[in-house]
Amino acid sequence: MVPLMATEFFKLRKRMMTWVVALILMGLVVLLYSVLWSASSRVQNFGEGHQFTGIDLRQALFLPGAVPYALQVVGTFGAILAIILAAGSIGSEYAWGTVRLMATVSSGRMKLILAKLVVVFGLTAVGTLLAIAVALAYSFIIAMYYGGASGSFLTATFVGDQFAAYGRTLLVLTPYMTLAFAVAVLGRSTLAGVGTGMGVAFAEPLINGLLGAAGSPWSNIPHYLLNTNRQIVLLQNKVPAVLPRLGGGAGGVPVHSALVAGLILAAYAVAFIAVALVLYRRRDIGSSQ
Amino acid sequence: MATEILRTEGLWKQYGDVTAVADMNLRVYEREVFSFLGPNGAGKSTTVGMILGLVRPTQGRVLLFDTDVAKHPWPVMKRVGAVIETPAFYPYLSGYDNLKTLTIALQDVPKGRIEQMLELVGLDTRGRDAYKTYSLGMKQRLGIASTLLRNPDLIILDEPTNGLDPAGTREIRELIPRLAREGHSVFLCSHLLHEVQAVSDRIAIVKKGRLIQEGTVEKLLGRAEYLRLRADDTEGLVRLLGAIPWVTGVEHVDGYLRVAAPTVRAAELNGVLAGQGMLLSELGPSEVDLESVFLELTDEETA
Repeated sequence: MVPLMATEFFKLRKRMMTWVVALILMGLVVLLYSVLWSASSRVQNFGEGHQFTGIDLRQALFLPGAVPYALQVVGTFGAILAIILAAGSIGSEYAWGTVRLMATVSSGRMKLILAKLVVVFGLTAVGTLLAIAVALAYSFIIAMYYGGASGSFLTATFVGDQFAAYGRTLLVLTPYMTLAFAVAVLGRSTLAGVGTGMGVAFAEPLINGLLGAAGSPWSNIPHYLLNTNRQIVLLQNKVPAVLPRLGGGAGGVPVHSALVAGLILAAYAVAFIAVALVLYRRRDIGSSQ
Repeated sequence: MATEILRTEGLWKQYGDVTAVADMNLRVYEREVFSFLGPNGAGKSTTVGMILGLVRPTQGRVLLFDTDVAKHPWPVMKRVGAVIETPAFYPYLSGYDNLKTLTIALQDVPKGRIEQMLELVGLDTRGRDAYKTYSLGMKQRLGIASTLLRNPDLIILDEPTNGLDPAGTREIRELIPRLAREGHSVFLCSHLLHEVQAVSDRIAIVKKGRLIQEGTVEKLLGRAEYLRLRADDTEGLVRLLGAIPWVTGVEHVDGYLRVAAPTVRAAELNGVLAGQGMLLSELGPSEVDLESVFLELTDEETA
């Protein structure tokens, strides 16, 4: 499978889309950081009960807060980019007809699909690290400028927490990524994967709201859907309270423990991967793919 | 006896009620050029797809190098190079990088092979340009280069001259027998029957998913016998020929009539026609080419 992974990596590395997605993610981090930084110098008090000041917000944007902040951006907007990357990695093969070419040089269909998923996941992980790097750089620059730079926060606990937050962020991205991938295989197109992935990412919170309003037993359904569990998991990431939650892990009493929520998300990811594998393995790859 | 490279045993492919391929039994031997012919929709691509493991047979099996493709697709597939229908590559990659993609996947391609193959197909000066800028002929050439990249024992070429200019077509026509001489077996699908006749050792003709004829070029060409007839009163001649039971077909070809009839009965035919006042200005055996045989066989089936 390693040669196939190397092939996938080579193709994605050479593809403009990969770099565009990475740039968008980094751009989003910079944009949101700039907006918050700008706001910190304009607002006096904000939040419920006006408990936060602009100074609090500025302090949160300095180094210790930069990592959870960047992970929060990735956890929210990164899902969209991971969906595009995952759906494009297999959907484009169908669009270009290269699915036949790759099938004839692959040591197995399962291996080919798994290699693609591993590489897409790997690139998502690297993209997340890039986002963190950009946030760190931005934070470091402003901290230096305002004299707030200090390495005192850098303890083993802090590093451990950030690694855990990084893992949780990748975990919440995975079901969306694998869903887009599986639907792209099913529909033999990037558009099908992106459309479905985006549809679920955007429409699910609205549907959950409606189901919640409908009362029992409908209100229990969202407990087992992606968005609720994504929020429960992201709630574990220690984002400074002064920073806006960007829709991830906002309010409410969690309906499961983080472990259960994580297992539900993992189960979804496994199910979507299984669908992609079974479909690709059993299906004929003919002239119309 | 030549070593068998490919064998299909009772291969069937059913799509719902439609039978795409029925009981296909093919043999391809070492160092031979085997041509697989048939009208559009005859099941050629489906058969090739099953040989390459892209399409799963409803019934039957494919043996490549004595190995069941369904059970052990790899590494036997590493010994096969194929261009199926229109070549498909990554549009954003250069020709060179497209071949590099394949070498990474295949692993054991010798260093320098990409440059060698690009030169062989005449793409050495355009190898670094994006594939999306290539003409159809250049895409076809890159397809052939990708096929030869792994130095395969069996080369499957589906319409390899599609989109090529006359010079390119001639190069491919010369390349195919050379590949066989160098030890490769070539499985060729083409609609250019003159080319096929010139380069093939054996030919199989399929129609509606079924193998209707298979054999050496000589055997297939010897199958049909035609007489070439010319007379002043062509219409009258056609009418008289229609009444002779052992004349099985008459067609107008370049100002004469090509008559499907045993050549040994040429004198008898002349006598019958002369007896009815029809004097021929020309009578002799008609040269048969693969195109005539192909059309006769495929029309026969239709009829």
